[in-house]
Amino acid sequence: MRYLFALGVAAATIWSFLVPDVVEFQQPGLARIFLWHFPCPMLATVFIWLGGWFSYRLVKTGDIRFDVRAAASMEIGYLFCILTMATGILFSYVQWGAWWQNDPRQTSFLMVLLIYAAYFALRGALPDEQRRASNSAVYALAALLPVMFLIFVFPRLPQVQSFHPTDSIMQGKIKGQYAWAVMSILTLISILSAWLYRLRVRAGLLELITEDRNDEFGLESDRRDPADTRVVRPVRIPRES
Amino acid sequence: MNRRIKAVLRKEFRSEMRTKNGLATTTLFGVFTVITISMATFDLKISPQLASGLLSVSLLFAAIVALPRTMIVEEEQGTGDLLRLVAKPEDVFWGKALYNLFFMLVTGIILTVLFLGFTGTPLAKPWLYGVCLLGSCCAFTGAVTLCGALVAQASNRTALVGVLSVPLLLPLTFLAVSGLRVAFDMKGGFNVTNGVIAGFGLVCYGFASLAGGPYLFSAVWKR
Repeated sequence: MRYLFALGVAAATIWSFLVPDVVEFQQPGLARIFLWHFPCPMLATVFIWLGGWFSYRLVKTGDIRFDVRAAASMEIGYLFCILTMATGILFSYVQWGAWWQNDPRQTSFLMVLLIYAAYFALRGALPDEQRRASNSAVYALAALLPVMFLIFVFPRLPQVQSFHPTDSIMQGKIKGQYAWAVMSILTLISILSAWLYRLRVRAGLLELITEDRNDEFGLESDRRDPADTRVVRPVRIPRES
Repeated sequence: MNRRIKAVLRKEFRSEMRTKNGLATTTLFGVFTVITISMATFDLKISPQLASGLLSVSLLFAAIVALPRTMIVEEEQGTGDLLRLVAKPEDVFWGKALYNLFFMLVTGIILTVLFLGFTGTPLAKPWLYGVCLLGSCCAFTGAVTLCGALVAQASNRTALVGVLSVPLLLPLTFLAVSGLRVAFDMKGGFNVTNGVIAGFGLVCYGFASLAGGPYLFSAVWKR
């Protein structure tokens, strides 16, 4: 299965270089990065929703396993946010002539990236497992409204002028071989992200089980308080003669 | 407003009046901000766009300085556990949020008077300015009160509250700038409808964050 997937990625990569150029772009050859840029914000948005859903489930039930799922979703979403920014900045340089255009969509996605970063900063600052889970879940839920505003509302406001077209998908402007290439890359990246998500959740759940077992046998936990500055020093024990 | 919310609100006012720390800090912060702005722009004619941006950023940072204190102080003084025993989370949230809203409105009015006085910026549409100020204060209050509760037991809470609040408040700052620039515009260069939409967007955002706040807060407060 893995080999088949690798073969699919290789085929899609080759195909992305073979599809005919779109003449509307300034440099049609280099504009192919769009094929890899396009799926990233879509998947980042999906994983934000997923993180929000699992956060809601955690707040509702208090089951710590939802925290593992929420954190996994947010981590993979964060990864796609970074990829969106990286590919977007490259596209901006190639097509619009500057690395950073102050384009509203670029700026709004940067803000989404900052919200993700704040989520992880909060998780890092709370040593207690239960508190970390509940507080980060509440932050993820509170951040949903601004994130949705930044992704869906802000770029479409009448006073906002963006280089990004808003009608590419809705009015079928991506068509022919280009549309097929976009769809196949989107499918492959979606499969890859689902696979990564499953691995991350499995690792998180195993970590939880190990922690529970350590607590059961009174072993030292690896999740120490980051604010704790105590140091364990060796002590000489005199031999009994 | 029920009896318990009133009790929490009264407690907040009494503890503030006892020390007046928050009021003094925020007023001084407002004065310093406006003086810094007027010094930085002493030889410039401030455009409506620039004025709205400067005022919105001042409001944003005033909110981050002033509002999380109500939550953080409970954990620092060790009174949080007592409050958990005697009051429901929703009542605690509403009591503190109402106090923060009052505090934010006072800060907003002080900042406005100082800003208009020091920079000499005229106000073309006071009603729109009022709507934007009310909406900003409601939205800032809802978001920052919640962020204060989230970081109250964290290790580096003072720095962290800014890190959490700013990304949540940036979209609001954009709406505030869109509304306030119309309120400051004497020449009619900006579309009034867009300003009104932004103003009412702020109010809706504010009510939404205050309405969702108690539900989210109870998940943090009890655990």
